[in-house]
Amino acid sequence: MRPSANIIPLAIVGLVVTGIVGFLVAIIFMSWFSNPPFGLGNAPAQPIDFPHTIHAGTVEEGGVGISCEFCHRNVTEGAAATVPAVEQCVFCHQQISPENLMASSLSSVDQDEMQLVVDKFNDDDPINWERVHRIPDHVRFVHEAHIRFLTEGQPRTVAMPIGDGQPRELPLSTQQACSVCHGDVASMNEVQPTSGQSLKMGTCVDCHRELNVGTDCTICHK
Amino acid sequence: MVTSRIDHKWGMVVDLDRCNGCQACVVACQVENNLPINDKNSFLQNRAYEWIRIERYWEGDYPNIKARFIPVMCQHCENAPCEPVCPVFATYRNDEGLNVQIYNRCVGTRYCINNCPYQVRFFNYWHPNWPERLQNQLNPDVTVRTRGITEKCTFCIQRLRRGQIQVERRNGGELNDGTLKAGNHMPACVQACPTNALVFGDQNDVHSPVKPYFEDVNKYNIHHEKERKTRGYRVLEEMNTKPNVIYLKKVDPNLGDGHHG
Repeated sequence: MRPSANIIPLAIVGLVVTGIVGFLVAIIFMSWFSNPPFGLGNAPAQPIDFPHTIHAGTVEEGGVGISCEFCHRNVTEGAAATVPAVEQCVFCHQQISPENLMASSLSSVDQDEMQLVVDKFNDDDPINWERVHRIPDHVRFVHEAHIRFLTEGQPRTVAMPIGDGQPRELPLSTQQACSVCHGDVASMNEVQPTSGQSLKMGTCVDCHRELNVGTDCTICHK
Repeated sequence: MVTSRIDHKWGMVVDLDRCNGCQACVVACQVENNLPINDKNSFLQNRAYEWIRIERYWEGDYPNIKARFIPVMCQHCENAPCEPVCPVFATYRNDEGLNVQIYNRCVGTRYCINNCPYQVRFFNYWHPNWPERLQNQLNPDVTVRTRGITEKCTFCIQRLRRGQIQVERRNGGELNDGTLKAGNHMPACVQACPTNALVFGDQNDVHSPVKPYFEDVNKYNIHHEKERKTRGYRVLEEMNTKPNVIYLKKVDPNLGDGHHG
């Protein structure tokens, strides 16, 4: 029998194995270097096109400069920052609605989105916002403690290994405190999971170690 | 020492004279800590999850037969037999005197379960399931453990952590005996106990009700047990695991010098 008869199936198997192994190695590399991997970092489609630029942006930038904790009410009093109920939106949008505004001051897209909010409120229908920042189930992140550390206490300078790594002057305003991890949300039309800090454990531990605020596992994992 | 802020050393005292075996602690623990519901099968296979369980013993002969109850939870030993056998460092002793289990580190070797003399560690043989109507009652502060990892009593560390943050917010203070009680930050079993048989406190806090018992039991070891001023003892004390849970002996009027009626 000629030896080449067995070579073709062997070559096919070899190619397939090489392909699978190469694919797995590629996945591991990509998930290590890009966080999160494979387009999972894209923001999910929201039911309403909410622009943080207009709501949280400063007046000079064309926004109305609402503070973060005005809508994310629980951020100073609990673990979750919480997204507001539709009543919270209507608190302002009762007045700032398409009927009350001159049509010229708004684009038709903005009017449609605004009308959606009002309709949701009139229909007693909650807005099903999609979660943007997700951490695994075995991690407990408490916003309150972090906000309090950054916004309260004596004036002090701390070296924070986060963002540009520059020492920061504490206490910060709440808006600045949020942007330490979340990035400058006020300038983002659409908040991306990757637009702020990486939510990997290393980011948390670097900061906790540097600031000597405890690195016991049970501070986050319980 | 990784942190300078915390210097707690938690401990629990179980008064067997007060325990009447009502199992309220068992239910409270089950609810607080997202434990799956034990059915008949899990008990028959000895695979029921009960982070705190009531052990029942019968004493005496008919008609003077007595039921004795001992609540057994993780003893949070200082010389914990479960710790050195873990190959991945998933269980260790933290700064607050607790023996903690890190679920995301655990690989499920079950060495710790086999090495625990108190049998208070549990292995998830199945993915935990709850009936549809109970899906929304899960405690968001506690991890839902998946199949293949070990779990155990944590002294409700999620409550202690939340308590610490709340106390800091309200009066900028530390979590001590008063604030523990005022905010109901004690473990769920302690809060649920109707007869106050379970007492929880900080051994480093001078006002803590558990401090005298721990001092007494630490002062007189197993060889000088007779000299103890209190009724305190530790379960399987001869193994020198040094638990942070102390049991108080039952006062039985029918035994010893207690013939008062």
